[in-house]
Amino acid sequence: MSYLLHLLTYLGIYVIMAMSLNIIIGYCGLLTLAHAGYFAVGSYAYALATLKLGWGFLPATGLGVGVAVLLSLAVSLPAWRFKGDSFVLLSLSVQALFFSLFYNWFDASEEPGTWTNLTNGPFGLANIPRPAILGIELDTPGSMAALSLASAVACGILSWRLLSSPWGRLLKAMRDDELAARGLGKNTRLARVQAFAIACGMVAVAGAIYASYVSYIDPNTASLDASILMLSMVIVGGAGNFRGPLVGALILLAIPEALRFAQIPQAAASSLRLMAYGLLLILMMHFRPQGLAGDYRIE
Amino acid sequence: MAPNMIALTGRSANSTKPGAGYPWQLRAAGIRKAFGGQTVLDGISLELQRGEVVLLRGANGSGKTTLLNVLTGNLVPDAGEIHLLTNGSSEYFRFPAKWWRTLNPFDHFSPERVCREGLGRSWQDIRLFPTLTLQDNIAVATPAQAMENPIWALLRPSRSTKREKQNLTAARKVLAELGLAGREMSSGDKVSLGQSKRVAIARAVQAGARVLFLDEPLAGLDANGVSEIMGLLRKLAQDEKMTLVIVEHVMNIRRIVDLATTVWTLKDGKLEVKNVGKKATVHRASNGHDLQSWAAELTGMRADVKNQRLPGGAILSTIAPSQDRQGEIVLKVEDLVVHRGRRLVIGIHGEDGQHRGLSFALRRGDLAILQAPNGWGKTTLLEALAGLIRPTYGRIELSGREIQGQTPWECAQAGLSLLQARDHVFPSLTVREAFRLTHVTSIPEGLTHLLNKRMSSLSGGEKQSVATACATNSGAFSVALLDEPLSALDMASLRSFGSSLRNHLKDAAVLIAVPGSLGELG
Repeated sequence: MSYLLHLLTYLGIYVIMAMSLNIIIGYCGLLTLAHAGYFAVGSYAYALATLKLGWGFLPATGLGVGVAVLLSLAVSLPAWRFKGDSFVLLSLSVQALFFSLFYNWFDASEEPGTWTNLTNGPFGLANIPRPAILGIELDTPGSMAALSLASAVACGILSWRLLSSPWGRLLKAMRDDELAARGLGKNTRLARVQAFAIACGMVAVAGAIYASYVSYIDPNTASLDASILMLSMVIVGGAGNFRGPLVGALILLAIPEALRFAQIPQAAASSLRLMAYGLLLILMMHFRPQGLAGDYRIE
Repeated sequence: MAPNMIALTGRSANSTKPGAGYPWQLRAAGIRKAFGGQTVLDGISLELQRGEVVLLRGANGSGKTTLLNVLTGNLVPDAGEIHLLTNGSSEYFRFPAKWWRTLNPFDHFSPERVCREGLGRSWQDIRLFPTLTLQDNIAVATPAQAMENPIWALLRPSRSTKREKQNLTAARKVLAELGLAGREMSSGDKVSLGQSKRVAIARAVQAGARVLFLDEPLAGLDANGVSEIMGLLRKLAQDEKMTLVIVEHVMNIRRIVDLATTVWTLKDGKLEVKNVGKKATVHRASNGHDLQSWAAELTGMRADVKNQRLPGGAILSTIAPSQDRQGEIVLKVEDLVVHRGRRLVIGIHGEDGQHRGLSFALRRGDLAILQAPNGWGKTTLLEALAGLIRPTYGRIELSGREIQGQTPWECAQAGLSLLQARDHVFPSLTVREAFRLTHVTSIPEGLTHLLNKRMSSLSGGEKQSVATACATNSGAFSVALLDEPLSALDMASLRSFGSSLRNHLKDAAVLIAVPGSLGELG
């Protein structure tokens, strides 16, 4: 039972990751590798706010969202000019920057969470408290799963509301032909900044839930592998609509679990999982570039 | 209701008079623009008055599109000033801009800024949003939609829904007036060329355009498409008193004649403005030409014109040399059936459930003109003949040798040359490199000055001329297949192409595909 609840907690986190990345890939038409960086920003902000400031879940998550929204300018402003391959490279450099920051903001002589040792470098931050909302401690697997799924539903409603509004239509028009959209008087730069801010803020929520659930975070949260995992969800499930990311999150959650039941040694399972991701991506790009349930074909 | 609905819903244009009291809506002075040291616009000054219909013409590379891009905010001029009174308020841009105007990234001279002042444009390549429905293509253009702000969309969902319903209703009304009722949910890439051009113009009007710049609105259209677009332009110009600036290539100029009140001629970076009242004067001023007269020049020296009616309303007119000079058959097509995916494009379904294919033959020296309506499959046919698409079945013989099923390079080596209608240039190559790559043996005189230019920097007409030279001047070929080679060509290029064609017809057959609008030749 607790295994199932564990999976449901992860499902909620994955769904938020995929939905948020879908705003950038499926609605802005930009492939970003920096998304794990914003996930980690949410995790670290939550961890530091709870550990050092003693904040509760909601304000600590709010802090993570705020910082991620602010830092989203690091990718959204260059996206005014950079498109296609050059934007992918730019997002990769932002991702490397985040990773490097989390890894190197470290001073062994100081306590974690101080200005000189903010992230505790490679050792990460441990003993992150479980969330408490309105005085209720969410310290059981069931309550964590409920929190994660409720957050996913809330993000889903937010995403649905936004993407089915004229703002979502504007994003799609901008993705299809930015110059034509500008020629109709649309401020595509502002729309892109808004889209990145919402997507990065949303994934920071997932980061906060993750940190509170696992109780430990380290720079690997912001690794390129994590970004590729998120990208795989959107590519496999499909971009440009609401259901694609849900399908992708479910499949990418199911693959490692299926390998677990296949009685493969732990060391081999990790390599096999990577191979499965790679194979899946190649097959999807070749046979179904719009993903299993997507509307938008990534060129 | 959105303010821009005025133009298409038939509300009197007099009810809103932006710029009323002023003699002009747009005034530009001293506009200069140079690319890489080459001056394209050299101190151009112009005025646009309400209800004026301008025909903008000029030779290939004269800067028509550059001027259009400058006036619509897509290019920032190097010097000059632009004064807009289109939207009722005065907006003044001076170039180069003062430094404080460059500080605000949302206040630059840009397409979105100019559009908000009431200047709209349509594009030569249409640029509908392909993944949006036609309804959304129109609705997205409505200006000042508060719900395009995500915060409003979240905080005021009921108001958002109400406004959106009104917007969609207005968009459906626009589509109904365009004769597209029932097609609201078709996506932007699933409608015919004529329909998509009409939607693109309506979209610009919906965005609030009071001055509309149209880049080759008739290009590539068959007779029905031309008449639909002309109907819409006439309505905008005469009923709604909109100001139109139309760039059209030489073959279609005569169709714009009825509407035009002014002719702008670009030459050597300067603009000559001629106000004309009478049709005949405009016609003379515009130096109109059409395919009929162009073909007549070629047919005049030839004796035998055969018109073959093809299924689906197409006509294949073969202009052959006199009997005593007729050559052997170089291209023989028998029972050709071609599908694109599951759709039958070339060939017809017979009553017995079998497909009937297309058959025709060309002899050395023949000039064949295939006129077919949009969507008939001209491009598919030419690509199937050239090996780019595998025919479902049928037989293609080139100089007695079967070539169906062969690769495009094998077809080219066998003596078949293809000029594609689109994507026919290598943008990063220089013209010289493109000629070398395609083994051009003799460079046409009119193109020698372009040799060191990159293909991407050429104008539409120059690209077309270079691509045509690559297809027809590259050594020996026995059959040339030319898909819409006349589009974007000016008079000089047209004559040069005609004379080059006469030379080629001594040794080869040429098949030209054009949108069907001409009827039988002869």
